Amino acid sequence: MENAIEIHNLTKKFGDFTAVDNISFTVRKGEIFGFLGANGAGKTTAMRILCGLSIPTSGGGTVAGYDIVREPEKIKRHIGYMSQKFSLYPDLKVWENIRLFGGIYGLSDKEIASRTRDILSGLGMEDVRNSFVDSLPLGWKQKLSFSIAMIHNPRIVFLDEPTGGVDPETRRRFWELIYEATSGGVTVFVTTHYMDEAEYCDSVSIMVDGRIEALDSPAALKEKYGAENMDAVFRMLAGRAKRGE
Amino acid sequence: MWKYLIEKEFKQFFRDPMLPRIVIVFPVIMMLVFPFAANMEVRNINLVVVDNDRTDVSAELIEKCTESGYFRLKKVCSDPREAQAMMDKNTVDAILTIEQGFSRSIVTGESFPVGIKVNTVNGTKGSIGSQYLSNCIMLFMQSRTDTPAVTQAQGETIEASPKYMYNPYMDYKVFMVPALIVIAVTMVTGFFPALNIVGEKEAGTIEQMNVSPISKTAFIVCKMIPYWVITFFMLGMCLLIAWLVFGYVCKGSLWGVVLFTVLHIMVTAGLGLLISNYSDNAQQAMFIMMFFVLIFMLMSGVFTPVSSMPEWAQIITYANPLRYYADAMRSIFLKGSSIADVWQDAAGLLAIGGGALTWAICSYRKTS
Repeated sequence: MENAIEIHNLTKKFGDFTAVDNISFTVRKGEIFGFLGANGAGKTTAMRILCGLSIPTSGGGTVAGYDIVREPEKIKRHIGYMSQKFSLYPDLKVWENIRLFGGIYGLSDKEIASRTRDILSGLGMEDVRNSFVDSLPLGWKQKLSFSIAMIHNPRIVFLDEPTGGVDPETRRRFWELIYEATSGGVTVFVTTHYMDEAEYCDSVSIMVDGRIEALDSPAALKEKYGAENMDAVFRMLAGRAKRGE
Repeated sequence: MWKYLIEKEFKQFFRDPMLPRIVIVFPVIMMLVFPFAANMEVRNINLVVVDNDRTDVSAELIEKCTESGYFRLKKVCSDPREAQAMMDKNTVDAILTIEQGFSRSIVTGESFPVGIKVNTVNGTKGSIGSQYLSNCIMLFMQSRTDTPAVTQAQGETIEASPKYMYNPYMDYKVFMVPALIVIAVTMVTGFFPALNIVGEKEAGTIEQMNVSPISKTAFIVCKMIPYWVITFFMLGMCLLIAWLVFGYVCKGSLWGVVLFTVLHIMVTAGLGLLISNYSDNAQQAMFIMMFFVLIFMLMSGVFTPVSSMPEWAQIITYANPLRYYADAMRSIFLKGSSIADVWQDAAGLLAIGGGALTWAICSYRKTS
């Protein structure tokens, strides 16, 4: 398996509205793939299709080697997902959340115990082991969410705006976690609004009005559009959008 | 996989600031307050008598009626228009008219001229009042015919004495106890899980479950299990209160009660899930529930007998799971029916439950 994700002519319509308009792309194994676009450009919809949460109107492809239309349940065993809406259980303690998701992905009690130790020491969160997730600062919740999305060593991890609403320092540390994960061979598919984060990606696609307008490495994109940074590239492309939010 | 999910649901249930308390307080209040408050017994019916006979016999009849304890004698007059005016002003609920020649007709055995007129603005009070009144007159007539002064020439008098089986004193409370258990079980097993699932939708946590390999059946069943356990705890509590406070014990087998509760849980689980599948937030779910709760309760025979509904309404009640559960619970609890006696109720519950559950599982999608 060369590519982690291969998508051909993917379209998703909601009534008359075409949220995702005939997009095709591939994501290589082990790379960080940045999926950019303004609000309403269709990023989340496309990502939900890749995760098996939504069925495409037409087109198709594979994720982790499985067909997105016919085998969504198989895909789910091999991917991690961290949604835009923070989705750990706030009324469960930190260790209980880890235990729950470990159990859901079929880990044994013993594996869960060792993973819990690894995660908590890796994040420096041993002290809050018994705290309710609700009481943690947002940045901590996000790091914990990410670690839990990785609990079953998935081949691909999908991050939907993982760093929304936190300060630059916390974001930088979150990206350290992502780099750590890719060094272990995992493929990262990430959507973001922060153009400095786009610079960290190996490949970047920019979605405008449901279509992919540009797809290349950040360096190549900057050269092609004669821009100093990704922010300028993004403004140039996203500025063409006709669709409102 | 299941173990972890069930563990999660139990923890979340007991950590909820409201739910554990509601589950204890709700049945206790229902069992202690409702049997007294939701009482259909009618007393203090205001009565006016138009007495045109004015004999000892008519005076005796009036006395007979008032001493029954159900009536409050407002006035004895001789003008029917005066009596009608009192009813128009709502000061009396019933008019008893004794025509001239009443005392004579009693002796001769002719059809006697007594009229009853009731105010049915309050239908229950009216219909029950007229029944009481005619009962009083009948009793009076019987007592009169028994006296030796009356000759046997008039032949046999037809005797009709009602006998109330299984609830001989017409105690409304014993009638309500099984019905209240029905209501409590319905609320806890149908609506709590539905609100719980809608809550996960609103919080977005359900999405995290949907991207996991966990099957939809596992997710749903694990959500229900804690509520099932709690239902049986509640059922036990209700039966205990019925015994301690009212001295009622279940006449039939407790296994029958358990079996029907299990069947009913299947129905409510299916309905609860359907509601949660089709609503996106708690408000929507609440409104749909209100709609069903009202229909289910009023058309189940819990408060008013199904047999006294018009035919079209009776047909609707066949689609109401509460009808079957309430009927079975009352039969088992009051009459001591065996499961074989109420198999139709079991069949009804199975049919509705099977349908609702199948529909619910088919309409729950992990993908959109």
